[in-house]
Amino acid sequence: MRIRNFGINALLIVALSAACGCRKPAETAKPDALLVAYDSEPDWNDSTKIISLGYQQAQGKRVFYQYCVWCHADATPAGPSNRSNLTPVPALLDDGPTLNAESDEYLENIITLGGSAMGKSAMMPPYGRSLSTEEIRSVIAFTRAIAEPPYQPPGRTRPQYSPK
Amino acid sequence: MPAEEMGKITERMRLVFAVSSLMFLAALAISPFKDYRREWKQYKRSYLRFAQVRPDTKRLTADYSPDIDQIWLPGMNVVDRCTTCHQGITQSSLADKSVPEPFRAHPPIPHNVREWGCTICHRGQGPATEVAEAHTSTLAWEQPVLPTHFIQASCGTCHQSDLPQTPQLARGRRLLAELNCQGCHKMQGIERPAMLGPDLSSIGTKVSREWIYKWLKEPRTIVDKDGNVTVNGYETEEEPRMPKFRLTETELRAFTAYLGVQKAKPIPPYTISPAVVAAWSKNPELISQGELRFRQMFCTTCHSLAVTRAGETKLIGGDIGPELTKVGSKVNPDWLIAWLRDPEGYLPHTRMPRYGWSDEDLYKVTQYITTKLTDSDLLSDVPKLDPPADAEIQLGRRLFVEKGCASCHVLEGLNPQKDFGPDLSALGGKNASELEFGAAKIPHNLVSYIQAKLEDPVSVNPAARMPQYNWNQADLDAVTTALLSMKGPPPTSAFENLVVPHKESSFRATGSFAELYERYKCYSCHKFNGYGGDLAPDLTYEGSRAERQWLVEFLESPQTLRPTLILRMPQFNMSDKDAATLADYISTVLEHPAVNPLTTDAKQFTPAMATLGKQLYEVKYQCQSCHTIGGSGGYVGPNLNNAGGWLTPAWIEAWLRNPQTLVPDSIEPRRNFTDEEITALTAYLMTLRAGIKPQKTAFHTGARASEPGAAR
Repeated sequence: MRIRNFGINALLIVALSAACGCRKPAETAKPDALLVAYDSEPDWNDSTKIISLGYQQAQGKRVFYQYCVWCHADATPAGPSNRSNLTPVPALLDDGPTLNAESDEYLENIITLGGSAMGKSAMMPPYGRSLSTEEIRSVIAFTRAIAEPPYQPPGRTRPQYSPK
Repeated sequence: MPAEEMGKITERMRLVFAVSSLMFLAALAISPFKDYRREWKQYKRSYLRFAQVRPDTKRLTADYSPDIDQIWLPGMNVVDRCTTCHQGITQSSLADKSVPEPFRAHPPIPHNVREWGCTICHRGQGPATEVAEAHTSTLAWEQPVLPTHFIQASCGTCHQSDLPQTPQLARGRRLLAELNCQGCHKMQGIERPAMLGPDLSSIGTKVSREWIYKWLKEPRTIVDKDGNVTVNGYETEEEPRMPKFRLTETELRAFTAYLGVQKAKPIPPYTISPAVVAAWSKNPELISQGELRFRQMFCTTCHSLAVTRAGETKLIGGDIGPELTKVGSKVNPDWLIAWLRDPEGYLPHTRMPRYGWSDEDLYKVTQYITTKLTDSDLLSDVPKLDPPADAEIQLGRRLFVEKGCASCHVLEGLNPQKDFGPDLSALGGKNASELEFGAAKIPHNLVSYIQAKLEDPVSVNPAARMPQYNWNQADLDAVTTALLSMKGPPPTSAFENLVVPHKESSFRATGSFAELYERYKCYSCHKFNGYGGDLAPDLTYEGSRAERQWLVEFLESPQTLRPTLILRMPQFNMSDKDAATLADYISTVLEHPAVNPLTTDAKQFTPAMATLGKQLYEVKYQCQSCHTIGGSGGYVGPNLNNAGGWLTPAWIEAWLRNPQTLVPDSIEPRRNFTDEEITALTAYLMTLRAGIKPQKTAFHTGARASEPGAAR
């Protein structure tokens, strides 16, 4: 009798361990798109559409609203914008047709060195001595995030692989 | 027992052993299979397969090992095995969104991920090796990953000083301080200010019992024509500081009875000269003149008024003081006159300056306020309140303490209850099992709890004493972030060393300047050495920037230098002597060490230099894109029409060399000017004196200021 019990126990152990081994990993709930974003910005043309921003883009948003918004947007934290005062009229920061065509490198140069160094209007001052390279790159990342039509980075490879 | 039988049993035993051995062997064989199938090992292998299809396979797999990876920071109680699965975390080539998780690189942040691990910022369970256990809360491991939307809370756990990179956290902390949460709750890094809510010791002399009833019932004062109650009259981003308490009719009557009789320290009444009253009271221009003075004095820099344009009601004006749209139906006219003459006589820590009123102005403006800024329907929904009975007053006094009113409001003879609300200084580190969710149907985690409690305190606890605030989503998230950052004392001494404490800045005005500084409340709007408001320019180094004579003229008749500004410095009606005292102190004490007035002499500038400077300004550097001279130019920087009369040459030179040494957060870009260019530009700017002439009276602004908000 004892021996048979022993055998049954052994079988049970085997069955249980097998069952554990085959257990599927628990599914994690899919998080809200905005909850996984560091910050967000309403689309400039459609305020019901919210664009989520990562850390770098959020830093760019901060720098933009401190330094750039005065000439590169039509509404500013202070109300009126300086944009209409200037000729040539500065590009809006979400101006995809103009800015999507420019490389990150070109944008970094024009912010760092100013308009006149790049053969454009001297009204765009150089920010290379006031802003850090990270800050300038973050503004470019923000530009890319809010561009309308959306920005497509050049030579991006299509995802060929999924982890499972 | 015969040997034959023994042999039989032995045979059987052997068989049993053989079978069970086989079974155990099978069981053991499953163990390596199970091990092979572990979740993290699957991620390890799939990373290898993933790296194979990338062009930089070699670099991606350089530190690959088939084992568990972990970041161990013994001093900080950190054992983070997250990199076991998140293997590409520091691979810059995996930053693109197309890279599947968990292999994507971490975006660049100021901290090195390998040095700090993951859980210090993201929370979750570092030692866990299964996806669910690491990220969500399980029975054994309760701390879930913090949603990235609130991640700034983690910055705030160590950085108790404000960082420019964490605006949401800073806003949350500011709201906690502004809404006086520290009146009831103990919180990390948020100090109790000198005045929380207004002192109510003499509230009975200021407002009627009916008005108190209305206010306590619904502190949002304006209802538009469609019956929509909006916060202070418009869809505002600012939450009024007075929350709504859930009071019954009996409680309302008791409160109003008790508060209505508070007249402990009445402000002495002031009688306007009968000659002035006689001269003006019959004048049909009285009210319009009062309105004009109200605008000319720029009351709307601190106070707002609701304005309806094209069917849309908006508050226009500042938010330092209360909005005044219906203040004429609120306050007692005698109180108003006495208050305007001496605000500190009524409220010791008020931010309202003491103006040098003439009887004439005082009469005109108070008549305007009590005639025009009114609403005859304001108290129409308040029931008839009889003279207060003693029992009501006694109940009101008891309720005042029980409801926690004394935590924010001073009232003669009442002491606040100590620690009225729960201590929140470690709320951000709590596990869900430590929280009371009551009947609320919300996810059981800390973020949901905090948000539910803030939005509707009784939803998680029907007996909650906490009053009702009315948040917009951004403010709610900001306050949640600030609360999540408060995790109590650092868990280890290594952590303690990382904490960047919040530095309290202070400024001690001295001498006769101090008396004027307090009277005009300069610090309500201006910053001095880090202390004060941020509505107006930082005056820490104003003495180096502005010419003394300009300061005197400006103080007597403030002009705005920035064309887009709506809010301007109010007219203080300052005497020549006061203006001179302030200007002397500013010029001699508020100086920047890097600006030496002796190195630059305006006499050295030649017309040729100025001509060159003008060319540089207009052609090479095109400064007119941001600055106005004459009628044209940009709106970004201050106008330079009177630069020569306003700025000291030493300041201009130092500024052109590097604006950020003088004003660290100035947005003027630092240029690479040569010394010759700096001299030429300074010489040019010093010639600009023909601009706005400061005027003793500000009547000329009347036409433009005929409606609120038009003073742009």
